[in-house]
Amino acid sequence: MRMRGSITGPLVLILLGVVFLIHAISPDFRLGDLLARYWPYGLILWGVIALLEVCIRFFGSGPIPRNGVSGGAWALVVIVALLGSSAHEFQRPNNWLRQVGFDSGMEAFGEEHQYPIDAISKKVGEEPRIVIEDFRGNAKITGADGGQISLTGQKNIRSFDTNDADKANAQTAVEILTEGNTVTIRCHQDRHGARSSVTTNLDLSVPKGSSIRGTASHGNIDVSAINGSVEFTGGSNSDIKLEDVGGNVRLDTRGADSIHCTNVKGTIDLHGRGSDVDLEKIDGQVTVGGDYTGTVSLRALSKPVRMESMRTQLDARQIPGYIRLDRGSVEGKNLIGPVKLTAHSTDISLAGFSESLDLNVDRGDIELRPEHSAMGRIAVHTRSGDIELAVPSAARFALTANTDNGEIDNQFGDALKESSQGRGARLEGAVGSGPDVNLVTQHGSITLKKASGDAASGETKAAEIRWDK
Amino acid sequence: MNDRIALFAQAIRGPILLITVGTLFAMHQAGILPFYRTWPLILIVVGVIKLVERFYVPPSPPSPGGPRV
Repeated sequence: MRMRGSITGPLVLILLGVVFLIHAISPDFRLGDLLARYWPYGLILWGVIALLEVCIRFFGSGPIPRNGVSGGAWALVVIVALLGSSAHEFQRPNNWLRQVGFDSGMEAFGEEHQYPIDAISKKVGEEPRIVIEDFRGNAKITGADGGQISLTGQKNIRSFDTNDADKANAQTAVEILTEGNTVTIRCHQDRHGARSSVTTNLDLSVPKGSSIRGTASHGNIDVSAINGSVEFTGGSNSDIKLEDVGGNVRLDTRGADSIHCTNVKGTIDLHGRGSDVDLEKIDGQVTVGGDYTGTVSLRALSKPVRMESMRTQLDARQIPGYIRLDRGSVEGKNLIGPVKLTAHSTDISLAGFSESLDLNVDRGDIELRPEHSAMGRIAVHTRSGDIELAVPSAARFALTANTDNGEIDNQFGDALKESSQGRGARLEGAVGSGPDVNLVTQHGSITLKKASGDAASGETKAAEIRWDK
Repeated sequence: MNDRIALFAQAIRGPILLITVGTLFAMHQAGILPFYRTWPLILIVVGVIKLVERFYVPPSPPSPGGPRV
């Protein structure tokens, strides 16, 4: 018996016919967009249909084809995958092709043309949800009283001649679309051809109660005086600055140069990659979950903080003072514990912390000045490095200090018993009755000092001066 | 009957592979996991299908004319 051919072939043909028919009838239907975005689902659908067909034939005791998907079909799959993924790459306004290819050439050889963006004003209500679609350029967003959104700005268009620039300008008109409570700002940068490169700089004034969600691919973001939440994704080579935000902040960056958040009432959630992070006066919980290669500085945080990067893990209940995490060093002052810090190859210097402290370092010197005479539990472990603890003279604690390879310098006198073990030393004992203090290093010396009040405040000032700089 | 199962096992490997590839690309485009980190899954799926096939496909009888090329 001659086996009937597969039903998938005809089905795929019908589907393709329908899609192209819609495209032919209404040119607004953007076929490229659709294919670029959904082609993997097409493959899945195809696979499911073929699988169903085989199953139906198997259980219906019909003839089973030798292959669910024939050789010719596989060739078609490969072509679809190649076309689809390249179309997808090309669709993005900030794709690698534009980055390394034509745009850079344009940046080097093209001429820059500037066009003002026609001012747009719209009534949108007191608390709109503002969505800024993927664009290349800077955005400055400021909250203002009233229920009005107004937009001005400027476009920089690079191209080889003015005609191309004019054309690109006409194609990339900025639009504000409202749908219910949602306001969408669209820059249409995907519309212009490859003969020019468009940077759209937006200056937006929005109602104070707005919440903002946006995608940025290149350029700086500056948001201030917004009571709603702020959420941005993308952002490579950009500076992101948020000031006076009432809601929650969520940033998922792809290599941001710097992130500054000041005076945020809600929570802060940072993800992705970037360089410097600077958070100050945050009332909500702070989570730093990305990989940041620069300096992370946290100041005046009144809720728990959690930082988790490849190098460092930090937990603290509150940071009324500051903590500054650099590559190779951590410096902090005035922290409220429980504080927990785990790091690799980092020197740590902490002053004025209360409640318990857990430090775990691979390699690095540790310098601690609790400054409060009511100390919390302290546990310090370093594989290689010196530990110095300056305790207020009125403090009470039970100490165990151990070094496998090094010396112990004790300024607390006979209350603590020192013994040497091989190349190392051990110091044990109690000063009054207080919490456990546990210092362990495998290679390095341990110093236990009495901190006089004046000295501590003097050092504090020095630290503050260093900080101001 | 065993023959039918063998045929069935052979016939479904294409669709299953197609679904796997489609899912991986879909995840790539949705930004969940990039394709260059998930492609070994395709090898694993092919391996599993081959194993299942071995289970049901009877070993082909040795051909008299020496090893097949």
